[in-house]
Amino acid sequence: MAETSEISEQKAELEKGFDPNTMRKTKPGVKRLALTLSVLFSFLLGFPFLWKSIEIYRAPLPFKDIDSLSERITSNPLQFPCGFQAIFVGFGSKTYEELSRLEYSIFNRMTGLTSKRTQCGSCSSNFSVSVTFDSDSSCTQKGHNPASYHCGEIKNVDFNADDEVVDDELEFVLGRSYSKGKKWYTVIVVNRDKMIKVAIGKYRHAWIVGSVSEEEAALRISEIFTKVFMNGGNEEDVIHGEFMPVGADGKIVLSFNLLNADPQDWIYDWDFDRIEETMLSPVLEALGHIANISVESQVLYHTPKSSFSHWDDERGAHIFSVGDLPFFVNSNEWHLDTSVAAGGRSKILHFAVYIPSAKECPLLLQVPDGDISETNGFISPMWGGIIVWSPPNCSRDTESNYQTRRKISSHDLQMIYEVFMGQLRQLFGLTSHNLFIGRSGGAIKLASEKGFTEWELDFLSRQHACSNLHSCSTTLSSLSRLVQSLPRMIIMEEIGKQVEFSLEAAKQAESDASLGIFYSSAGSSRQARSLAEDAFFHPSIMSVSYYSFEHCFAVYSPFFLPVSLHVILAALREWKRYKQEKTKYLTWVTKSNAAAS
Amino acid sequence: MKETLKVHFQFSPMAIRILLLSLCLSNNLYASSSAVASSSQTATHTNNWAVLVCTSRFWFNYRHMANTLSLYRTVKRLGIPDERIILMLADDMACNARNKYPAQVFNNENHRLNLYGDNVEVDYRGYEVTVENFLRVLTGRHETAVPRSKRLLSDEGSHILLYMTGHGGEEFLKFQDSEELQSHDLADAVKQMKEKGRFKELLIMVDTCQAATLFSQLHSPGVLAIGSSLKGENSYSHHLDSDVGVSVVDRFTFYTLAFFERLNMYDNASLNSLFSSYNPSLLMSTAYYRTDLFPRRLEQVPVTNFFGSVMETIHTDRPYRARKRKESQDRIRMPLKEAVQDNQQRRLSDPEIEVRRVRAPEDSIGRTWNSLQNKMKIFEYPETFVYYGLVMMLPLLAVSTWLYS
Repeated sequence: MAETSEISEQKAELEKGFDPNTMRKTKPGVKRLALTLSVLFSFLLGFPFLWKSIEIYRAPLPFKDIDSLSERITSNPLQFPCGFQAIFVGFGSKTYEELSRLEYSIFNRMTGLTSKRTQCGSCSSNFSVSVTFDSDSSCTQKGHNPASYHCGEIKNVDFNADDEVVDDELEFVLGRSYSKGKKWYTVIVVNRDKMIKVAIGKYRHAWIVGSVSEEEAALRISEIFTKVFMNGGNEEDVIHGEFMPVGADGKIVLSFNLLNADPQDWIYDWDFDRIEETMLSPVLEALGHIANISVESQVLYHTPKSSFSHWDDERGAHIFSVGDLPFFVNSNEWHLDTSVAAGGRSKILHFAVYIPSAKECPLLLQVPDGDISETNGFISPMWGGIIVWSPPNCSRDTESNYQTRRKISSHDLQMIYEVFMGQLRQLFGLTSHNLFIGRSGGAIKLASEKGFTEWELDFLSRQHACSNLHSCSTTLSSLSRLVQSLPRMIIMEEIGKQVEFSLEAAKQAESDASLGIFYSSAGSSRQARSLAEDAFFHPSIMSVSYYSFEHCFAVYSPFFLPVSLHVILAALREWKRYKQEKTKYLTWVTKSNAAAS
Repeated sequence: MKETLKVHFQFSPMAIRILLLSLCLSNNLYASSSAVASSSQTATHTNNWAVLVCTSRFWFNYRHMANTLSLYRTVKRLGIPDERIILMLADDMACNARNKYPAQVFNNENHRLNLYGDNVEVDYRGYEVTVENFLRVLTGRHETAVPRSKRLLSDEGSHILLYMTGHGGEEFLKFQDSEELQSHDLADAVKQMKEKGRFKELLIMVDTCQAATLFSQLHSPGVLAIGSSLKGENSYSHHLDSDVGVSVVDRFTFYTLAFFERLNMYDNASLNSLFSSYNPSLLMSTAYYRTDLFPRRLEQVPVTNFFGSVMETIHTDRPYRARKRKESQDRIRMPLKEAVQDNQQRRLSDPEIEVRRVRAPEDSIGRTWNSLQNKMKIFEYPETFVYYGLVMMLPLLAVSTWLYS
C-alpha cells in the first residue's frame, strides 16, 4: 500500500511539472561546503607560517655601505696631512716677503720632487710649509705659526756636541708642540763656519750645520722633506706588498732559531731571554700599531744546509756566494714552522742563526763585487732572515765530551742581534744601513734603540693604513658579491656583526687619517682588515652546503602534496555539488512562482 | 729635400697641439686610475705551493696513490718544502693488509724507488679527503682549530700546482667512491681564490678519465690546466706489476715523471717542453691543455716556476747599530718587571668587578628575579630545597584525600 501512495505522489508531482533530476524543493545545505572550505582555509592560513619557518636565515649585510667604502677608497686613495717646518738659525733678520718667498720656493721644489700620481698612503699634495728665521738679534716668523715653535728656544741647543745629545735636546725643544693631531717635520739649518754636516734624528727632525747659503739650504731641505720624511728614506714612496709581512689577522710571530748543523762538532746555546727582555721588547712595542707581534725561539740540531761552498786559500775560509742563497735553506731538515701559538692567518717570520759544522768552518758569504759580507746574512721577503755565524777559532775541542754546551758570548750575541734588527728593517721595506745619499748630498741617519725611528714609524703607519684599508674594501666587496650571487646561502649573525664592526673601524681609520693621526689610523685599519678577513673566511660560507630550492621542495612535498591534493579536490567537489543543487532549487522556485502567478 | 720639408709643415700647428694635449690627458687619466691598482696586478713571485690530491680508495686503485706520491717526491726533490705541500691521500696502500711489501709503495715494477721511504708528510689522510675539505683547502675557509700544516697559506705572489688523480668522468671527479667534485664547484673555488688573491698563477694537472672536462668551466685569469685525456677518452694505466698484483702507475704521470727525472734543481726547461713531450700514441689518449687564461707564453715559463722552489733573497749589507744610553737601560728594565707584576695583580681583581657588574640589572623584573635568587641562596644546597618540596607533598596529599573522602 505504501508503494502505491508513493507512486501516486510522484505522479501528482510530475503533473505539476517537477523533475527531480533538475529541481529540488528545499534549499541545499551548506554544512558540507562550510566544512571543506574551512579545512582548505586553515591550510591556506598556515602556509605563510610554513614559509617563514623554512626561510633561510641571512643576516642583513650593509651592501650600500660596502659599495660606498670601496668607491671612496678607489677614487681618492688615503692620504695624510703632513706639516713641514724649517728653522734657520744665525742667518740674520728677514722681511716677511722674503720669508714667504722662501716658503714658496721650498714648496715648489718639494712638489717637483714628489711623484705626479696620487699614491696611496703618502702625504697629501697640499702639505703646509712654515719657515722661521731665528737669530740672536731678531726672529722672523709668521704671525700665527701653525707649528707653534716659540722664538729663541733653539738657542739653548749646543750644536757642537755629540749627535745623540743634539738630537735629544732638539726633541726636548720641539717635542712640545705636537702632542695631538698633525705631525710636524722639522729641519734646522745652523749657519756655522765649517764643513756641512747633515744629520737626521731619531724623532721627527733633522739638522744641517755648516756654512751654507739659503738657496743651497732650501735645496737640501726640500730633498730631506720629500725623500726622507715623506718617502721613508726610499726613492719610491710606496712599499710593495712583499715588504708588508703582517698576517691577515694583524699578527706576526717572530720565530728565532739557533741551528746547529752538526752537533758532533760542537753544540751551541744562546741566552735569548735576556736579549728579548732588554732589547727586543722596545722594538715590538714600537711596532705595536702596525702589528701585534709575539716572539718564539728554539734551538735545533742536525740541520745541515743544502747548498755547497768552496774553500778559498786566500781568505782561509769556506766561501758561498750570492748565487747559492736561494738554495741555502734546507727545508727537509730545518723544521722551522712548528709554532703552535700562531693562528691560521698570522704571518710567521723565521730568523735563523746557522752554525756550520767543522768541515765548513769558517763559512763566509761573498758579495757580487768580490768582498766578504759584513753581516754574513740575507733575507727572503715574507719568509725571514738567516745569519751564518762561525764559532771563533773553529777549534774542535777533542778532549771534552761532546755533550758540553757552549754558549754564544754576549758580545757575539749583541752583534747577531744587530744584524737581526737590520734584517727586520729590510723585511719591512726600510734599509738596514744608516746613510742617506741624496742628489744634493748625503746625510747620516741616527739609529734608534727601538729599531725604528719615529719618522720611519710614521711612514710605515701611513703605508700599512692605506694597504690595510684597500685590502679591507676589496675583501668586503668580494664578500658582498659572493653573498648576493648565492641567494639561498645561510649568512650567520656573526658574519653580519663582523662586517659591521669592520666598516666602523674603516670609517674610524679614514677619519683619523684626515686628522693626521698616523698611529691610530694604522691600528684601526688593521682591525678593519682583520674583521673583514674573518667575515670572508668564515667556515660556514661553503657553497656545497646551502639548500637549493629543489632540495627544499623535495623534502617538503611528500608531506604536504598528497594531503593538500585531497583537501582541494574535496573542496572543489563540494563547491560543484552546491552550485548544482542551488541551480536545481532556483529552477523549482521560478517554476513554482510561474505556476502560482 | 725642400718638398719633404713642406710636406711636414702642412700639418697645422693647432692640430698638433690638440693631439699632444689629448695624449697627455689620456696618459694622466690612465696613470691616475691605475696608480692604486698597479701594485696588486704586478705582484712578484714569492713562493711555490703544491696541492696533491689522490681521491680513490681500495687496493685496486694503488696506482692513483703511487701517482700522487711520485709527484710528491718530484716536487720535494726540486725544492718545495713540506710546509708548502698539502698532500691528501684517500687511502693507505703502504700499510694495507694486501700489500706484499709492507710500508713500501712503488711506481715501477723494477721496484727501484720506494716512494714511501722517508720524509713523507701526509696532511689529509683516509676519510679526511672529502670534497668539502678539498674546497676548504682551496678557499681557505677552515674552522679556527685547524692547524697551519693543513692550510694553504699562499699569498698573491704564490704559484700553486694542483694535481688531482683518481676516477673521473664528464665534468666530475669521484671522491672516495661516495661523492663527486663537479667542474663548476672547482671553477667557483678557483674564482674565489683569485678574488681573494690567493695565487698569482695556478697550474692544474688532472690524471683521470675525461680529465679535460674537469677544468672546462674555469674562467679566472692566471690559470693553466692540463688533463690527461679529452672528453670521451679514457686514461690508461702504464703497466701491471705482477709481484704487487696491481697496476702501479698511470701513463700520463709515468711520462711526466720521466721528464722530471732528467732535471735537477738548477735546470731551466720550459713548460712548453714538458707539454710537448706527451706522445698521444704512447699515452693512448690526448693530453689536452688550455692556455687561454694564462698570460705568459709557455716557452718563457720554466718548469721550476711551479715544480721547484724559488726563494728571492736579498743580502743584508749592514747591521743596525744603535748607541745605547747606559743609564736609561737600567731604568727600562725595572719598569718592565714591575709592569708585569702589576698586570698580573690587576688581572686577579678584574673578574670580580666584572662579575659584580653583571649582577646589577636595571629593570624591575631583574630586581625581583634577583631578590628571589637571593632568597633561594638561603638554602645552601639546591637538593635540600627539593627534599623540602617532596616532603611537603605528603601532607598535602593526605589533606586532599581526607577532604574528598
